[in-house]
Amino acid sequence: MDNSFLHSKKILLVDDEPDLLNMVSAILKDDGFQDITAVSTVREGLAAVRCGRPDLAVLDVMLPDGDGFALYRQIRNVSDMPVIFLTARDEASDKLAGLGLGADDYIVKPFMPQEFLLRVYAVLRRCFKDEAPLLKLDACTVDFSRAEVIKDGVTIPLTAKEYALLETLARNGGRIITTDALCEALWGDNPFGYENSLNAHVRRVREKIEADPSRPVSLITVKGLGYKLKTRT
Amino acid sequence: MKSFGKYISRHLLTFASVIIALVILNVLTFGITFYKIIAKDYGEASPQNMLETASEASSADGITEDARHILEANHIWAMYLDIDGNCVWTAGTPAGLPNHYSLQDVALFSRGYLNDYPVFVRNTDDGLLVLGYPKDSYTKLTGNYLSVRTVRTLPVYITAVLAADILLLFALYYVSKRKIMRNTDPIIESIEALSDEKPVHLKLNGDLAEVADSINRASRVLNRQNEARANWISGVSHDIRTPLSMIMGYAAKIEDNIEAGQPIREQAGIIRRQSVRIRELVQDLNLVSQLEYEMQPLHRERVRLSALLRSYVADLLNGGLEDRTSVELLIGPGTEEAVMECDARLITRAVGNLVQNSIHHNPSGCNITLALLQSDGDLTVSVRDNGVGLTLQKQKELAETPHYMESTDERLNLRHGLGLLLVRRITEAHGGSMHIENPPEGGVCVSLTFRQTIRPH
Repeated sequence: MDNSFLHSKKILLVDDEPDLLNMVSAILKDDGFQDITAVSTVREGLAAVRCGRPDLAVLDVMLPDGDGFALYRQIRNVSDMPVIFLTARDEASDKLAGLGLGADDYIVKPFMPQEFLLRVYAVLRRCFKDEAPLLKLDACTVDFSRAEVIKDGVTIPLTAKEYALLETLARNGGRIITTDALCEALWGDNPFGYENSLNAHVRRVREKIEADPSRPVSLITVKGLGYKLKTRT
Repeated sequence: MKSFGKYISRHLLTFASVIIALVILNVLTFGITFYKIIAKDYGEASPQNMLETASEASSADGITEDARHILEANHIWAMYLDIDGNCVWTAGTPAGLPNHYSLQDVALFSRGYLNDYPVFVRNTDDGLLVLGYPKDSYTKLTGNYLSVRTVRTLPVYITAVLAADILLLFALYYVSKRKIMRNTDPIIESIEALSDEKPVHLKLNGDLAEVADSINRASRVLNRQNEARANWISGVSHDIRTPLSMIMGYAAKIEDNIEAGQPIREQAGIIRRQSVRIRELVQDLNLVSQLEYEMQPLHRERVRLSALLRSYVADLLNGGLEDRTSVELLIGPGTEEAVMECDARLITRAVGNLVQNSIHHNPSGCNITLALLQSDGDLTVSVRDNGVGLTLQKQKELAETPHYMESTDERLNLRHGLGLLLVRRITEAHGGSMHIENPPEGGVCVSLTFRQTIRPH
């Protein structure tokens, strides 16, 4: 999936380790982000939020003048921008505390640059999906802003469930999504027993997006696990 | 702890035996002490014997000299009364005794005393032989009768009393034992918990409060040590994460940098892969120590294992698997809906460790099959590969040698990974068990079996 529309987003990094800040900044810059602010204390972080209005904050949990959770609460007072915690603590309770507060993700050190970027893009895409570009598939183009498929010059509308199905797969850019996760995305918290309905929706989506629905090349079944969406590059 | 009950029983029984032995000892001491007196007073000079001797040696006419001497030697006096109560002859009688006795006199002294002399009588053909013993030598029971009913009841009564005594003794034994056990059971349980390295807090009143205090103190000391160890491991694993992030990050950057030479990029790749291994080791070490000291509470929730396994396999495939390794998921009949109360993160970790083991030990590739099976209310998650398998020596080592995390033996091989130990700990924390097999067709199969507590809905 093309992420370049997200490269204009302002990113705030708060970590007390200068070397790590440099490295994370470099990872983001190398991938195309241009506006990165790196600070190392709660105070500076808060000031940067007030002045710079960043689009995403990546916070360390342990900071010299307080903890990241407290900073998060203070940020929430002035902004509802997405927040990712980046921490060396991996206790499950920390993770729950971070996400329970409403944080968008929680990345445990040590992490691979690729993994970090994927999570940043996932959060940004979720929060700024209005700006989502057209999704190009083998036989068609999907316009998420209008919930439409344009195939051979014909515009085909998507139902809410079909939209959710395609959007979930597209958001995960070519990764396998299990039937369980798809059912959950489509039917909510208790998604048991919807497998047949899911199959029906998949069939209908294929009719709309595939050139030959019986031989799908975009929405592919991964036997026993789930589905993945292949985009055209 | 049954041995403690036995210990108390033995001691209470010993106590009862000692009481019985003491009673017997008392009776014996009494017997030996009084034997002489009894032998003397109830022996040759006893009224019974003397009356016998004197009556044989006497008649209304007098008493033989021999008999008179014997009486004198024993300080016994004698007199003979005819049927009218007149004294026919005397031998050594003290002064002041009358010569005639009425019927009342005879009736009285025959059962009691004559002028304070204990006297004994024997009826002969011609009259009454009376023997008088020195004052204060014998006491006479003037009311010496028992009702026939009393005599008949006596054996029954004695038997009943003895039986009651024995019953009482047993009741006492039983109650004492119960009471001791009630007070000591919590202590024993606490000591057992301590030996399993579990923290205890014992609350006891009365005499045993001090013991409870000591046990609580011991538990606190143990707990502090365990916590210190776990905190230490957790601290090290925390501090290592940030530097490791940078090593991994820069190694990955160099590896992806097309401007760097091929050998340098390959070396960076090695640094990255080894850093990932360190990361896994540190995570496992921390988790093992947290699980061991129960510092990490399980976040139990109802989890559909089929969904958990699918999600794990999807993540594994999404993360990129080398072509020579393939993964297959088998959801057995009836297990699609099976729900288990468990910590999803830990179970995923256990399965992940097993899969990574298979990948790591088969560098030239293998097929890995994850399976979820059900039998007799047990749910089994198995990870099987068709790779190189375990050598006999390795199998033996896994079965017999404790892991270095669980042993104080410094000679153990410290090159073991923590992976299997962590899998076992996680399985046990969920009440399950781990089995390692070498299937005949080759490879390794590790099964985690859990009791299914929740029926599928």
